[in-house]
Amino acid sequence: MKKILLTNVLFFGAFVLLTGFSAAASPSVCIECHGGLSGQLGEIPTAEWHTSVHSRSRVSCHDCHGGDPTDYVEAMSADRGFIGVPVYAEVPAFCGRCHVGVEEDYRASLHGQVVEFGGPNCVTCHENHAVQVASIDLINEISCSRCHTYDKPALIKQEISDTEAMLSRLDNSIASLYRVGFDTGQLKDELFSTRNNFRRLFHSVDIDKIRAETAGFDADLEETKATINALEETLGQRKIVGGAFVLLLILGGCIALLIRRTYENKE
Amino acid sequence: MNPAKEAIDWLDRRLGVRELVHKNLGGYLLPRNINIWYTLGAVLLAMFGLQFLTGTLLLVFYVPDTEKAFASVTMIMNEIPYGWLIRYLHVVGSNLIIVFLLAHMLSVLFMGSYKRPRELTWVSGFVLFNLALVFCLTGYLLPWSQLSFWATTVATDAAGAIPIVGDQLVAFMRGGSTVNEATLGRFFALHVMGLPLVFFALIGVHLFCVRRVGISKPPFGDEYRTTEIPLSFHHEEHQDGVPFHPNYTIKDMAMVFFALALLVGITFFAPWLFIPPDALEPADPFFTPPNIKPEWYFLWAYQTLKIFPNELLGLASQGLAMGFLAILPFFDRGLERRPAHRPLFVTLYLLGILLFVGLSLWGHYS
Amino acid sequence: MSEAPASANERRTFLGIILAAIGAFAAGAFGWSLFRFLSPVERSGEDSQVRVARDLVAIGGVHFFAFQGRPAVVLQPRAGEFVALSAVCTHLGCIIKWVDETQEFLCPCHAGRFAASGQVLGGPPPRALDTYPVTLEDGDILIG
Repeated sequence: MKKILLTNVLFFGAFVLLTGFSAAASPSVCIECHGGLSGQLGEIPTAEWHTSVHSRSRVSCHDCHGGDPTDYVEAMSADRGFIGVPVYAEVPAFCGRCHVGVEEDYRASLHGQVVEFGGPNCVTCHENHAVQVASIDLINEISCSRCHTYDKPALIKQEISDTEAMLSRLDNSIASLYRVGFDTGQLKDELFSTRNNFRRLFHSVDIDKIRAETAGFDADLEETKATINALEETLGQRKIVGGAFVLLLILGGCIALLIRRTYENKE
Repeated sequence: MNPAKEAIDWLDRRLGVRELVHKNLGGYLLPRNINIWYTLGAVLLAMFGLQFLTGTLLLVFYVPDTEKAFASVTMIMNEIPYGWLIRYLHVVGSNLIIVFLLAHMLSVLFMGSYKRPRELTWVSGFVLFNLALVFCLTGYLLPWSQLSFWATTVATDAAGAIPIVGDQLVAFMRGGSTVNEATLGRFFALHVMGLPLVFFALIGVHLFCVRRVGISKPPFGDEYRTTEIPLSFHHEEHQDGVPFHPNYTIKDMAMVFFALALLVGITFFAPWLFIPPDALEPADPFFTPPNIKPEWYFLWAYQTLKIFPNELLGLASQGLAMGFLAILPFFDRGLERRPAHRPLFVTLYLLGILLFVGLSLWGHYS
Repeated sequence: MSEAPASANERRTFLGIILAAIGAFAAGAFGWSLFRFLSPVERSGEDSQVRVARDLVAIGGVHFFAFQGRPAVVLQPRAGEFVALSAVCTHLGCIIKWVDETQEFLCPCHAGRFAASGQVLGGPPPRALDTYPVTLEDGDILIG
């Protein structure tokens, strides 16, 4: 098996070299060096990153930590924008360079206001290198109880669970429509935007604010759902017509075979 | 009196159509024990016709430009009424054609129909099979998806293992050092013009061979006798056989109906069978998707390349296997066609199928 | 069964008619989808208004643009007065040209002449050019 893997790697390695995309298609120099080191600056973060949503979305080391992923010597030079590891209280600003909206609501929240004094920052709940697609399960007793009682988080979780469930249902519907060839680009964008804004909202951890604004999101989601339903209905109708056609063709084949039998007596 | 009859009379006086029709349809007798496998030719012919029709229609809206190809396919799928139907029929049809071609070849091999005097029928059929594979290869580049781009990159790259000329050959096939707009241009031209012309001409040759030599008698049943084959040209007659038309054409038609039912069924209910997720993303020359795999009918070749320590050896073994099949009738010269009397051949035949299936599964799951 | 069994020929004719009907229906349905496939796609927005910046149309000047998928022209014969016309000659469908010196349209194909209002001045055109409603909004001309 090892040998197969090796030849496989060589095989792909060869075409990557040939096609001249080596720099773009292979991992950055960050991973080439750090992946070989041990510990917190080596194999641990690189291995974790490979499992992350960032890896899947092609967000690599330098996209957060800065620096030059194409140059071994200058990779970690400040001239090339290398930032390195943020101190604890600066993590929200570090992540907030991309996650702008969430940072804003988080900053206004109780969590954000106490970050200077060791309050939770982004990675407290989301992990750093192993960051995954956020889900409502991140709000759980074990995690929240590290700092405070679970009664308030439980309330918030209950408040947003219907909307979250709807978000994931719609996400699945869009994925299956996409799989059969529908152009779901606009739907995806719509849902992405609604989800982003909704997730911003509950980073405020303000139960009254969440209660007041959830209805608006539900209304947006209903609109997206109506579009999805229309497409699913089209798909259902196609299947009915297609099924009828399959039966018709099979019937035609059977009748042709019956005609064939009328000749058999004479043969 | 009867205008239809008069029209036929008019044609008959000039071209002798009645005699022609009688000789090739009603008066054309097929062996009495002819079986269902002989309908695959008609099924394939119908499928080729449908590919030509759907392909021509796709050509109306498809734009062979790296910037626009993917968008034009998306437009066909979403904006043009029934565009999704035409495209899926074309995609599913191409895969079913490979299935039917394999079945056609396997049945011909099993019944020993490729043997003398039908070497040319076999060779022309084998070339048709290879052309069909090239059709598929050139066709799936056209949507310019991630699958298109990377599967073509991998497939054309294999030729690089050939010593001395390998690299130039790869560059020549691609029209550059990488897969790019020049590759799309030449694959497009081949797919919609070059290949169809050669393909349909070769179908003509194939059918001519079939008709001229005569249908082979299936080597089954007690009354089957191995007969000496005369050295001079001889059309194989089946004196007390069944007429081609209508007795056998209606069976052909039944099988065409069933094949179309299968095609429509997959088109409506499971088009994703032949469309991997990578085919849904536009091509990105700077990002290789993980685990890119060729189409199922190329998996055996892909896996062969992987298991040989040297790419050249892998390529050479593929070439040998295909070459061996191509010229099989020239050294398999025995008269015996009954499978029960050809244990060595049948063993190799079954092992060959197992090897093909095994390599394909291995390639799929590795 | 009380009836006499049908002969092979009768049965064949009956089955043949059914088969032909199935074939015709299938071909018809497929043919219909082909017809729809090739029919012109109705694009949304084709009927809507077209906005042309007022600066583009000088006094005594013209501006050609596409309206509902067809060539059209907007001109300003007198200050503040705008006219929008189809730019397709009513004779054989060539696109008319504006002649600055004479302040009229000339069709280059058969020398049909149109006034700035679209009326036929001479030549073979059978009728005046189609006119489109024009409204002014801010600095723009709205046609349609």
